Amino acid sequence: MNINATLLAQAVVMIVFVAICWRYIYPPILAVMQEREKKISDGLEAAKKADDSLEEAKLAYDKELSQAKAEAAEILDKANTRASQIVSDASSKAEAEADKIMAAASTNIENETNKAKEELRQQMSDIIIDTTQKILDDEISKEKHEEILKKAAKEL
Amino acid sequence: MASELTTEGYISHHLTNLTCGKTLEGWTCNPYKVDQMGFWAFHVDSLLWSVLLGSIFILVFKMAMPKNLDSNSTPKGTQNFVEMCIEFVEDNVQSLFGSAKNPLIAPLALTVFAWILLMNLMDLVPVDFLPVLAGHIAYALFGYNEVTGGGVEWIKGPESLYFKVVPTTDPNITLGMAFAVFILTIYYSITVKGAKAFLAELTLHPFGKWLIPVNFVLEMVNFIAKPISLGLRLFGNLYAGEMIFILIALMLFFSSIPVGIMGFGLHLVWALFHILIVALQAFIFMALTIAYLAMAHETEEH
Repeated sequence: MNINATLLAQAVVMIVFVAICWRYIYPPILAVMQEREKKISDGLEAAKKADDSLEEAKLAYDKELSQAKAEAAEILDKANTRASQIVSDASSKAEAEADKIMAAASTNIENETNKAKEELRQQMSDIIIDTTQKILDDEISKEKHEEILKKAAKEL
Repeated sequence: MASELTTEGYISHHLTNLTCGKTLEGWTCNPYKVDQMGFWAFHVDSLLWSVLLGSIFILVFKMAMPKNLDSNSTPKGTQNFVEMCIEFVEDNVQSLFGSAKNPLIAPLALTVFAWILLMNLMDLVPVDFLPVLAGHIAYALFGYNEVTGGGVEWIKGPESLYFKVVPTTDPNITLGMAFAVFILTIYYSITVKGAKAFLAELTLHPFGKWLIPVNFVLEMVNFIAKPISLGLRLFGNLYAGEMIFILIALMLFFSSIPVGIMGFGLHLVWALFHILIVALQAFIFMALTIAYLAMAHETEEH
């Protein structure tokens, strides 16, 4: 248990080991650890950011959705109004047309009736003249009784 | 060395290093000639174990990391353990060293901690196991043969070889490490503070510039006491622990069977308690190393 050169030898050995550790062992491991630590903290921060932007996107989405809904409701409203307007327009037009057609038809009918009546009157007066001629023969000439015949035709 | 086993023989056998040095007849490891070796002798066993354990530390830390190391790979297995150690050391350096940045301190602290821990852990290997094994190997390889005269002359049996396993129970080892720390302290004191400030620190207080010799003596005692106390603290704790293991082992060999059985129980209890000392002393040595070097970096105003 004497103090001897072992002391110096051990000091040298220690300096060698410390140098090896200092040069080759410690720095690479520490560098990797620090880099990993940084990566993890960066990752966590990015995750937090992503969370925040997701929240924001959700809010924007909700806003857009409600706006779109309001717009859609408005459009639907307008369309409904317009449709009912078109329907009422069309029906009033159709009614007018129908009235017109009816009026035209009734005028037509009246004309035809008058025409027919006129014809009938004509034929009747002819027949009556014929018959009267036959009855009266020469007694009564068409020329002499023109007045009376016209009067009778008018009365028919 | 005693041909018959005695208590004193057993104890001294466990407390003597395998010492090799130069005598008048040349280099030898003969335990009878240690007196002739003087200062230039080496405790081969202590140095062997210290180098071996230091290499284990370096290898484990080197092998634990994958070949193409980058921050994208997930840490696995031993790498986790290694990173845990480094984080532990880094924390301690941060808290003790503070702002002054020196990239040597943390590797130094890690080496000191891991290495001393490993050396201290050798204390937990049963006291006779490795010495007896080494003795038998040495006898088988170099044993003295009386008939042919071959082999090494002083290895007359397995017990002729002294072999101490725990390097930190050798004051040379602990003081050697403290000495290395001391050199670093001086180096950084001079380079960081400047030689002038360092000298001023040693001479100008506590009594001001009119009592420089007194100041110098006082500060010198203070300065030199640091490495000595650092080395002796570790040595003392581990030596005492080893001693108690040896004494407990004596109960197994040199007493009645009941006492021997009690020895087993005591062995377990002391080993469990010693784990605490092993880790604690390694930690204290590391913490003090960091603290002394931190002091070397501080430019204090007095």
